[in-house]
Amino acid sequence: MKPRVIVAVGAALMVLAFGSAAFAQTDCKKLVPASPWGPNDQTGATNRITPAVTKAAAAEIKDGKVIVMSYPLTDGVPLFGSRFTKTILTAVSLAPGAAFGENELTYMEDTWLSQSHVGTHLDGMGHIGRKDCYYNQTPMGKFITQNNMTKLGLEHLKSFATRGVIVDMVKVFQQANKFKGNSACKKPCLEKGTVITAADIQAGLKMYNVTLREGDIVIIHTGWGDLFEQFPAQNALYNSGEPGIGKDAATWLISQKVVAVGTDTWAVEVIPGENPKEAFIVHNMLLTDNGIHIIENVRTDLMAAEAAATSRATFFFSMTVPKAVGLTGNFVAIEGIR
Amino acid sequence: MKHPAPASSSRGRRRSRLRRWVAALGALGLLAAGLGPGEAQRRYVVAFANLTEEPGVTVEGTGFTGREIRESFTLAARAYPVEMVVYDNQRDEARAVANAEAAIARKVDLYIQYHRGAANTVVAEKLKAAGIPLLALNVPIPGAPIYTLDNVVAGRIAGEALAQFAGRSWRGQSMAAAVIGNLSATTDRVPERAQGVTEALAQRLPAVRVATLDTKGNPAQVGALLGKFLAGQPRGKLLLAATDDATALAVKAAVETAGRAQDTAIVSHGVDRSIHGGMNDRKEIDPANRGSIVIGSVAFYLDRYGYDVLPLAMRMLRGEAVPPRVVTRHMLVTAANVFIEYPPYDMN
Repeated sequence: MKPRVIVAVGAALMVLAFGSAAFAQTDCKKLVPASPWGPNDQTGATNRITPAVTKAAAAEIKDGKVIVMSYPLTDGVPLFGSRFTKTILTAVSLAPGAAFGENELTYMEDTWLSQSHVGTHLDGMGHIGRKDCYYNQTPMGKFITQNNMTKLGLEHLKSFATRGVIVDMVKVFQQANKFKGNSACKKPCLEKGTVITAADIQAGLKMYNVTLREGDIVIIHTGWGDLFEQFPAQNALYNSGEPGIGKDAATWLISQKVVAVGTDTWAVEVIPGENPKEAFIVHNMLLTDNGIHIIENVRTDLMAAEAAATSRATFFFSMTVPKAVGLTGNFVAIEGIR
Repeated sequence: MKHPAPASSSRGRRRSRLRRWVAALGALGLLAAGLGPGEAQRRYVVAFANLTEEPGVTVEGTGFTGREIRESFTLAARAYPVEMVVYDNQRDEARAVANAEAAIARKVDLYIQYHRGAANTVVAEKLKAAGIPLLALNVPIPGAPIYTLDNVVAGRIAGEALAQFAGRSWRGQSMAAAVIGNLSATTDRVPERAQGVTEALAQRLPAVRVATLDTKGNPAQVGALLGKFLAGQPRGKLLLAATDDATALAVKAAVETAGRAQDTAIVSHGVDRSIHGGMNDRKEIDPANRGSIVIGSVAFYLDRYGYDVLPLAMRMLRGEAVPPRVVTRHMLVTAANVFIEYPPYDMN
């Protein structure tokens, strides 16, 4: 082959190679907005939790009362199709003669088989995308292995030590005379398919005279979690739909620069959705486009009751998220400290 | 010489001008939103009189139930300033008239009628006398705009899909075709589906003979009917159009039993829940089942009626003109687009 031909073929191959890479990049730039924290950002909205935000949130701790905001992590809670949990206890050292040493030490441990998005859990940046484009225009096809993601994993998240705000949507709908419940709930719950709007959230905040601050985590009580608590009896009903925020509410929460939105439901957003041809659109809006986390299956009833009893809807939000490398999400423990 | 106006009068004029500007801006805002004065706060009561709510009873020769249609209205109404009032016509003439009378007494703003029978004329007259606009569903009512499915168009889409598949996969091979289903269901206009299929196949594959196999509404007949048909076509490829999804699944089972699955392509009508599911509710048309001999089904979207009909109703309520006939946007749903058309939500 003549050198000129070799050069031409080489140039063509380079154009193809770089061209295809540029094409993927261009696609994601069309599909997903850039992060306000720069092209290398893998952290998302927890960037908003600065030392000043955490310090201000600490002022919410007045008497040290701790409110549990996560459900027990156990086999039998509502899950979806192929998702499963299975705990297996290893207790061999309890067998006669199996203890160690003169002190007859025994031990036990567990095998915990589970997907990461079970129980009370956090959706990370790598959970939801548009096509293969994820948060911060990440062409995710280039950053996945057989085992995990090499970008946007939970290890990149900052602290969640910030102010939490409970919004009692049951009360909002009751006071507005538009409450429609489900008879399977032992306590009042909004019916599945109930759309929560921005105006509803604003009414809930006004009820306790709260103004959202940048860096807040908003927790919405719908009452639907009552069905989760009845597991396994109401698992099918719990999974069949849910009340939740619609696009209007999501847009407003994004404008308030919150860090996360959590509810006592399995998807935070209203199911069935507002447009039957859109799939989990609020997930796209919050996670993919804005890096705002979604926290599902949050236990909200205790904090809602506490807010009602004290006329205060804010608290210090304490949540542990493992530095799970390359994971798209994980179960979490949440406590609201007052 | 001009005398300066008193200061108080000048302030008054400025206030008056400001008020006019504010009013003008407000009016512009309402116009931009496509609303009339007072429209932003107006809530409407819309009545939907359903064909039947009888559990498990399917309508229009598809697998959809009246309940699915009603639920689609309830869900779609969430996006509109509308209170839905639902009636069940129970496929009964007297009930249909009584429902309209109840709606008139309730002073509903608009009535959506889904009923087959002479009562439609009576209902239309009563509503007209009460000044309540009427929107017909699937069954024409003189003087009322209609939202309806189009069986001929749907059939043509199915026939076209079979012809395209044959052209792609079996060019030059001998082929036979059949339409199978409840072809006696003239009330549900199922024969129009067969007509559409036949027309499309005749146009695209004029050499292929199209047989019609009437199950008379009994899916158990599929095996026997198809058995005779297959016996007459011992070799060659088979293009089969089922008039509904349940029949399509029965056809698939029958050709598999006969050992002819490799020779068969099936297209169906409906896209009900018997043929498509979700992430964990896997059915025949599924992205993970692209090799199925059921290459697709033509969507009838009865479970989306509310989303298609309420925008028309809103236009009527706002006094806007609407087309006399609006038709369902039928399309072929396959393994490649089923999750686009019917996004699963049994995951998170």
